[in-house]
Amino acid sequence: MSEDGLDPVIHAPARLRLMVTLAALPDGDNLSFTRLQDLIGLTPGNLITHLRKLDDAGYVQTNKSGSGVNALTTVALTYNGRAALERYTAVLQQLLATAEPARPR
Amino acid sequence: MNEGTGMRNGAHASEGAGMDAQGAAVIMGEAQERARRELTVDRPAIFASWALVYLIGYGAVWLSVRGQQPFHAPAGWALALLTLLALLALGVTAAVTDRAASGVGGVSALRRRVYWLSLGIGLLGEIVMQLALRDAGASRGVLSVFTASAPLLVAGVVLVAGTAAWLNWYMFGLGIWLIAVAAFSGFAGPAGVWAVDALAVGLPFLLMAAIVLARGRS
Repeated sequence: MSEDGLDPVIHAPARLRLMVTLAALPDGDNLSFTRLQDLIGLTPGNLITHLRKLDDAGYVQTNKSGSGVNALTTVALTYNGRAALERYTAVLQQLLATAEPARPR
Repeated sequence: MNEGTGMRNGAHASEGAGMDAQGAAVIMGEAQERARRELTVDRPAIFASWALVYLIGYGAVWLSVRGQQPFHAPAGWALALLTLLALLALGVTAAVTDRAASGVGGVSALRRRVYWLSLGIGLLGEIVMQLALRDAGASRGVLSVFTASAPLLVAGVVLVAGTAAWLNWYMFGLGIWLIAVAAFSGFAGPAGVWAVDALAVGLPFLLMAAIVLARGRS
């Protein structure tokens, strides 16, 4: 099996980190944009770009509330996002399992 | 995957081109570990700080009242030490919880608020009840038993009730234990209750801190 089987929306280092970090939260929870940025270590611009791609795929949901200094943007993994990450993990494990015997000792 | 996502695949493919399966697994592992470390409440610190409240604070009160015949009252220095340790433990609990919960919203945040509110109201009720008992002419011995054990009863009931939201069976077990200690320690008398509570709560808290710490490192 090749890496082609991996979901290309998730299969990018920054988005993979984003998905895994959000999946660490229980269902129904969300993370603020600033805390997510702190955990992932991306610039705000980069984070917005990657979140937009995940949002377009229906994997995350962003919500904005308040305005001015009270503005708060939160990000949560959707049901589809969690399912997509589970599929991605399963494919990744298959790839690693098939690659293992071929590796020279 | 939907059609729209399939159409975007070409654009995304290049971003992950430099990452093989092994690299993806490493990134996943690192991200999971970081999220676990940053978003999980550091329970050993909380258990250890409350263990000190009971072992040293309650222990100090017991030292100041043991052998009193008839029972009089704990010494001011012992109560001051207990209050100081309780305030420090509250500070540690708040800081540790806030560090992990900062920026986390949704159901967990709501549960946490309800939990702390329940505990606060319960402890406030306990203080008012203590004043009512004093007003009704309760003896110093009765007040001593109540002062030592009632907070454990409140904390135990809140922990057991919190299990409905968190389904955390360690929390349930701890709550049941606190209720049992609160219920039975009074039989040790107005002086002995402090020693029983100190050991029956302090030692398990210290043990739990060590267990959780060891699990986290393994």
